[in-house]
Amino acid sequence: MRDFRSEVIAAGGEGIAACYQCGTCSGGCPTVSAMDYTPRQIIRMVNLGMRDRVLSSRTIWLCASCYQCQVRCPREVKITEVMAALKSIAMKEGHNSGIARPRAASFYRSFNEIVSNIGRQFEPLLLMKTALGSREGIFTKLRYLLRNAPFGIALMKKGKLPFKPEKIAGRDEVKRIFENVARMEAGK
Amino acid sequence: MSYTYYPGCSLEATAKEYDMSFRSVFNALGVDFQELEDWSCCGASAAHATSKLLSVALPARDLAKAEATGRDVVAPCPACYQNLKHTREFVLESEHNREVLKKALEGTGIQVEGRVKVRHVLDVLLNDVGVDAIGEKVSRPLEGLRVVPYYGCYIVRPPGKETFDDVENPTSMDRIIQALGATVLPFTRKTRCCGAPVMMSQEEEMHRLSYEILREAREAGAQAIVVACPMCHFSLDAKQPEIEAHMGERLGIPVLYITQLVGLALGLDPYAELGMDKNMVPPEDIIRKYSAKAAKAKA
Repeated sequence: MRDFRSEVIAAGGEGIAACYQCGTCSGGCPTVSAMDYTPRQIIRMVNLGMRDRVLSSRTIWLCASCYQCQVRCPREVKITEVMAALKSIAMKEGHNSGIARPRAASFYRSFNEIVSNIGRQFEPLLLMKTALGSREGIFTKLRYLLRNAPFGIALMKKGKLPFKPEKIAGRDEVKRIFENVARMEAGK
Repeated sequence: MSYTYYPGCSLEATAKEYDMSFRSVFNALGVDFQELEDWSCCGASAAHATSKLLSVALPARDLAKAEATGRDVVAPCPACYQNLKHTREFVLESEHNREVLKKALEGTGIQVEGRVKVRHVLDVLLNDVGVDAIGEKVSRPLEGLRVVPYYGCYIVRPPGKETFDDVENPTSMDRIIQALGATVLPFTRKTRCCGAPVMMSQEEEMHRLSYEILREAREAGAQAIVVACPMCHFSLDAKQPEIEAHMGERLGIPVLYITQLVGLALGLDPYAELGMDKNMVPPEDIIRKYSAKAAKAKA
């Protein structure tokens, strides 16, 4: 079993060993105020091998992938890619529970599922799947859907929510890409 | 000038008016484009969070299709733009990358070499069409209109190997707006994230970030915010009533796509050609004052 840092680097989080803890990433982060650990702390924790605490943190799901930290990092740590790598590891292992927000992983999973089936995104279905596929209680899920229903209707009235998904002709190719990638990653 | 147009999923749905105004403006400017046939989703933030390989393998299909057309790709959605551009850079970077991608595309018959470039609509308007050519076609100068340009994240970040604007203080949209005769007000939150990527999972964060942008725009005295991203537009325009309710404060700031603003100055029909009745915060005051069609109706 390789160490956590190598695992994160292999999943795309390049340059992480170069971090000298200046905190420029945390200073510019738009969602840092809601995080349990700042981006600077997360980088340090990865380097120290604090696997479980990092993967069950709220921070990784609060990262909006805005790349502000990454473009300002004086050590060229690919911080946004580190966060994406952490999300991908956490999702594979079902770490998305407890203090982490359960709807985030459901959103990514639902998004991928729809695209792999029809080749494009279909927003009405994405909202439903995200809400229903989360690890929240049934009442929380229903409340979320009900609260969003009037908004969905308003969008439909403007002709901005299609009723039927647009299935593309090459959707088998798209499905194949998903399958190939899953197989390649499992074989690693 | 001839391009392959990659609309992306948002422009078929919640950003319908971006698609409409893109097509109308490019036609009016005499820029040739053709929609990429049978395009698929770029994978957006979901592929990126799922697997690094998936985030380049999905756009590869579109890039390969575009290569067959031989024309550069123009993508109005900054997330699509980034994903396609990054995939091209990934392909060109090394033989190893090309081998990995080849395996991920096995059985699809898709081959990608990175021959065509990927461009954002602002890049094409500024650097291929040019502000002079746009200015010459302006029939309804937007004099007296005060706006703030909001770029968001993916137009400039990450810059990658090739980019067209400054990563901290972009000005491409400013210059296009000025060519239309409108006034660009100073705006410190040009590239501050609107929170759209966490909209479904952390609503309150999106509310707070978008509210800060809307509030600064109002304090600056802007009559509208101008954007070039369907996700930014969704949080600032479609979600504005929700943000108002959440913050207990009335904002009422119209949010226009850059292509809607250009189209207005070119004298295009605000509804039939620019879809301005689809914006959730109605930009009626601006239409009444600057639209050629509205002026004719009044006369």
